[in-house]
Amino acid sequence: MGDRDVPADAALMPLGGVTVVDATTWLGGYAGRLLSDLGAEVRSVMPSPDPEDPAEIMRRFGKTQAPTSEPDAQLGELLNDALVDDATILITDVGPAELRARGLHPDQTTAGRPALIHVAITPYGLTGPSADKPASDLVLLADGGLLYLCGDPDRSPVRPFGEQSATITSLHATVATLMALTARDADGLGQVIDVSAQEAIVHTLENAMQYYDLEGVVRRRRGSSPADAGVGLFACRDGYIYLLTTMGGKKLSWDAAVDWLVESGTAGAERLRDPDWDSSAFRRTPEAIAEFRRIFETFSGARSKDEIYLGAQERGVSIAPVFEPHDLLESSQLRARDFFHDEQVFGHTIPMPGLPYRFGDGTVGRFTMPQPAAARPGGGS
Amino acid sequence: MNAGPLSGIRVVDFTWVGAGAFLTKPLADHGADVIKIESETRTDPIRWMEPFRDGIRGIDRSGYFANRNSSKRSVTLDLKHPEGRDFALRLIAVSDVVANNFAAGIMDKLGLGYDAAKAVRPEVVYLEMPMQGNTGPHRNFRGYGLTIGAISGFLATSGWPDRTPVGTGTNFPDHAPNPLHAAIAVLAALRARRITGRGQYIEMSQLESTINVIAPAVIGEALTGERFHRRGNLDRRRAPHGVYPCAGDDRWIAIAVEDDAQWAAVRTALGGLPALGAEFDAHEYRLANTDALDFGIAAATAPRDATELAAGLSASGVAAALVKDARDLMADPQLESRGHWVTLDHPEMGPSLYDAPPYRLSRTPGGLRSPAPLLGADGHEVATEILGVTDEEYERLHSEGIIG
Repeated sequence: MGDRDVPADAALMPLGGVTVVDATTWLGGYAGRLLSDLGAEVRSVMPSPDPEDPAEIMRRFGKTQAPTSEPDAQLGELLNDALVDDATILITDVGPAELRARGLHPDQTTAGRPALIHVAITPYGLTGPSADKPASDLVLLADGGLLYLCGDPDRSPVRPFGEQSATITSLHATVATLMALTARDADGLGQVIDVSAQEAIVHTLENAMQYYDLEGVVRRRRGSSPADAGVGLFACRDGYIYLLTTMGGKKLSWDAAVDWLVESGTAGAERLRDPDWDSSAFRRTPEAIAEFRRIFETFSGARSKDEIYLGAQERGVSIAPVFEPHDLLESSQLRARDFFHDEQVFGHTIPMPGLPYRFGDGTVGRFTMPQPAAARPGGGS
Repeated sequence: MNAGPLSGIRVVDFTWVGAGAFLTKPLADHGADVIKIESETRTDPIRWMEPFRDGIRGIDRSGYFANRNSSKRSVTLDLKHPEGRDFALRLIAVSDVVANNFAAGIMDKLGLGYDAAKAVRPEVVYLEMPMQGNTGPHRNFRGYGLTIGAISGFLATSGWPDRTPVGTGTNFPDHAPNPLHAAIAVLAALRARRITGRGQYIEMSQLESTINVIAPAVIGEALTGERFHRRGNLDRRRAPHGVYPCAGDDRWIAIAVEDDAQWAAVRTALGGLPALGAEFDAHEYRLANTDALDFGIAAATAPRDATELAAGLSASGVAAALVKDARDLMADPQLESRGHWVTLDHPEMGPSLYDAPPYRLSRTPGGLRSPAPLLGADGHEVATEILGVTDEEYERLHSEGIIG
């Protein structure tokens, strides 16, 4: 549906000729979307419980709804054998007991179909004591350890927006699917991919597991309260900016940031030139953190995100605006990149994001040749 | 261990910090020969990121680096030296994929850009991950830390309505969306190459990749005409839906109720919840009165053991779980039964914890082939076995600081 970033001939795309039966409900929907973006023909067989859910719109974009004579039928009852027989790939995303009840367990789907790749995404895996536990985004984030790290220390953990358990799981599932396709291209044989959402989420814990393994420390929520005075979110006139002037205790653009504050005449900024502030131990004290915030927010409170962003880039200070969703549509960078494009969905004009990647030959995404690079002095990344 | 589905694929990996490691790790774990190109003088900052084995800092002691770099090899090269650059090009000539996440123009300046790579290996799949893309007014903007989270909308969309946004408390774009979108692009390009024989240049703007995972916020504004605002733990369809305090230090239970039958089970498990009247038995009422709902539930969960309560609710068909910390995960019976925690014996760190891949291919499985490489440890092997460099020549290159 819609006018996508595709060449007229889908056969030119990396997954041209690949057919996918997408029997996902929510957890694996983005995997089907990613395969569709790469040129696979993806037929969605599940009716959506909430078609106007923005997350559903994102997941279903580009998929076709498989024809069925029973539009209200449940998972499995919709699926007829002809669909699976013709398909390169089948994606499911419910637990093993429910799969088996619907005739969609890999044991059942792959019997007599040696070329089929069945991507069996499940909340906890096809096996194990929790394999059939009821799941949802919030509960999977809890069971996967990411939720514990999210939020402020003085409140309950708070989940990230966007059903990220499904995003994380679908991303891993798609990587695995393409590996299985590699094997199938070589010898014509499919296989079962057992994808556990819980395990996928555990992969996103940064260094929390290693902190426990190597130093016996349980990493906790830090919220937006910074570990170092020169790092964190600071209020500005129209929202927040993210400042990073030190990393791992070392000064990065701290001096440049202080110079800017002083040159702008910000009250109290001269104090930041005292040698105390060179010490990361001092900058990590609550008193230093509070004082820096007072001084900096005097400066930032009078300026907009964009003003601070551009000024910081000119001065080599690492500041990033904390963009709200509507800011993205107004971004000069994203407009220049032709990133969002309008699609008609349920009678509304929706700005859909472009693909995450662009191929130089134009077969995936909208690619533009870059201008000769005007490298910044000093090089490095 | 079998060779894996990507056996025969070689990746020259110039990525450092950020999203690179988790892009090449799944490839390496599934049989690709991933050769990290590192530098003695400008080491990957991740090698200096905490935690360290026994709290002692060292270039080969970072657990953060180790977990992301299983199954890979490491070669240190002086890329600014003409012979270092030539060595890299000779490696590219016998490889399939080149990956980097430097700022726009850096690889070109080093003489290792796409044109140079294509000249020695016409079918190369060449991936770049510039922060905001190679074009546009911000293409040369620099940023560190949570910059991508900030400019992509990821930070702003998560947290409490009455507080500063918080994202995930981690550098989430580097752990899932950016490396995995990139791995998907590389694998897709390799497939296209199998069919057409042609290589590919891939540009993945980290900003654009990350926006895709919060796109529902943008879409939602267009559908409703209303500005997006952070909603904490609330859900558009489920109520109750939240994280409630339990007995013990920082112990919480996550509960997500889909329908009235599940709500009835929650009432029963929590002793009837007399403070919440019969009007709460209707789904629409619960959705419209979440403050009172959450307050009433929290009062009832506070004295309870989260693990026991979650087990009881799960058994009754309600999605519920203890909010697990690292200690809980290490002992989690489901993760243990899945073989998720793998101990690998690292030459300097000793036996240490790694994540197994979160998926199992039944016929061509992957697995962790080796612990993270010591800095530059594989230079001699790569030079002599892959490029046919003699031992004498290697010694010369090494003594002049060009390799190893």
